[in-house]
Amino acid sequence: MSTDTVISSRSLTKHYGEVHAVQDLELDVRRGEIYGFLGRNGAGKTTTIRMLLGLIRPTSGEVSVLGRRIVPGETSIFGRIGYLVETATAYPNLTVRENLEVQRRLTGAPRTSITETIALLRLEPYADRRTGQLSLGNKQRLSLARALLHSPEVLVLDEPANALDPAGIVEVRDLLRSLATQRGVTVFMSSHILAEVAHLADRIGIVHDGRLIEESGREEFAAKARAFSAEALTEQERADALLTMDLERYFLSRTGGTT
Amino acid sequence: MMFTSVLATEFLKLRRCKVTWFTFAGLSMGPLGLALFMWIVREPGRAAQLGLLGTKANLSGLEATWPAYLSTLTLLVGIGGMLLLSFIVAYVFGREYTEVTAKNMLALPVARHWFVMAKLVVAAVWWLVLTVAVLAEAMVVGFALSLPGFSATMAIGAVGNALVAAGISYLLVPVVAWITTAGRGYMPPLGFAIAMMALGNIFGKTGWAEWFPWSIVPLMIGMVGNPVESLPAGSFVVLGFMFVAGTAATILQLRYADNAQ
Repeated sequence: MSTDTVISSRSLTKHYGEVHAVQDLELDVRRGEIYGFLGRNGAGKTTTIRMLLGLIRPTSGEVSVLGRRIVPGETSIFGRIGYLVETATAYPNLTVRENLEVQRRLTGAPRTSITETIALLRLEPYADRRTGQLSLGNKQRLSLARALLHSPEVLVLDEPANALDPAGIVEVRDLLRSLATQRGVTVFMSSHILAEVAHLADRIGIVHDGRLIEESGREEFAAKARAFSAEALTEQERADALLTMDLERYFLSRTGGTT
Repeated sequence: MMFTSVLATEFLKLRRCKVTWFTFAGLSMGPLGLALFMWIVREPGRAAQLGLLGTKANLSGLEATWPAYLSTLTLLVGIGGMLLLSFIVAYVFGREYTEVTAKNMLALPVARHWFVMAKLVVAAVWWLVLTVAVLAEAMVVGFALSLPGFSATMAIGAVGNALVAAGISYLLVPVVAWITTAGRGYMPPLGFAIAMMALGNIFGKTGWAEWFPWSIVPLMIGMVGNPVESLPAGSFVVLGFMFVAGTAATILQLRYADNAQ
């Protein structure tokens, strides 16, 4: 493993009885890059992320983050990792600020980090609202705020755009890009949304049936995709895709989001 | 330092929690219900006029006196308390699974045993406050009823007994905590608690009460078996073992078992 590698897995495998959720996964995510982990529902993305975070034990193989092997129950490394696992959740009886206070106390982040992160995720109007009353999108913003609160070196994000509206997706995309380029944060993000990964990731890995079936840089991936669509898509399908993009840009311009 | 931080967050998590008030309301109904029974026994004629079951209350053999009131109160705190305490522990541990926050909690830079210890302390404080508040309420209600036969020695003895029963009940909660974390929710621990109470009653009638953990409180408060002055040492060994084993099992469950939600 190179010293530049921040996340690595070797022969990482997880079986649930007869179900092979992840099979011999070999990953190398470099410092400061955004790695898009792309796969359909049930491909093994969340299981991989759970193993990265020590929430579940691999059947075989191993995974390391920041040079430390992840072993369930060994938690000291998580002060350097921010994470969001699948659904956005929080203590519903607590406000946004109080939920972040729980996180702050347990990660040792400074007191000022709460206000800063609330501003970063544009949660000011909801800061003193109970999270049980928030929309799904704002819960997702809160989950991202939790992940960022302690200024981690590595972000592990499982479907970070879940429940966000188009403007929110663009904001989060910009935020992750600036974290990677300006602060050197390494981002490992899973998604089943091609566009989300294509816009953001430096490298893309495609996982299918628990196996990494392809891995390439964004430009290479885009070139392959263009070549494929030139052959496989009809004129109508291409026009529909363009229309979707146009509609999104129009919606953003009408609702104050960046385009 | 880390333990105090975890403990502070565990108390913070209870802010604006309706469940704390529900448990207080639940247990505080006990002395009020008992007081109503006492009044019916003392005033059967008026109770009958109001449509209350004066005859049935009389048939229960209850006397409207302080000794009978306090003795029944100890039963209430001992038996009702065991169930309520299981509910409290199931809530404190189980909410992380029902609110799907366990995955957030377990990937924090905090050793997982601190969460177990802090949650057990929260449950202990919650239970202590609840017990003391209900005992205080019971004394006020007892005086308001002007029951005959009060003596300070007897009252102190009864309150002491109720507190010891509450303390013994607490020694069994780590097992409930373990069932909650293994079952990832409220239903398994509540089912377990009800089953153990039923078994405790059965074991109590077979002469094994002092050895079966869930029979020991009923034995102590005179609900099963022959009345005992004090519990045998073996019972405390059993209770101590249950506390240590339950705590260890909960820590190991959080530390080594898969925690997928």
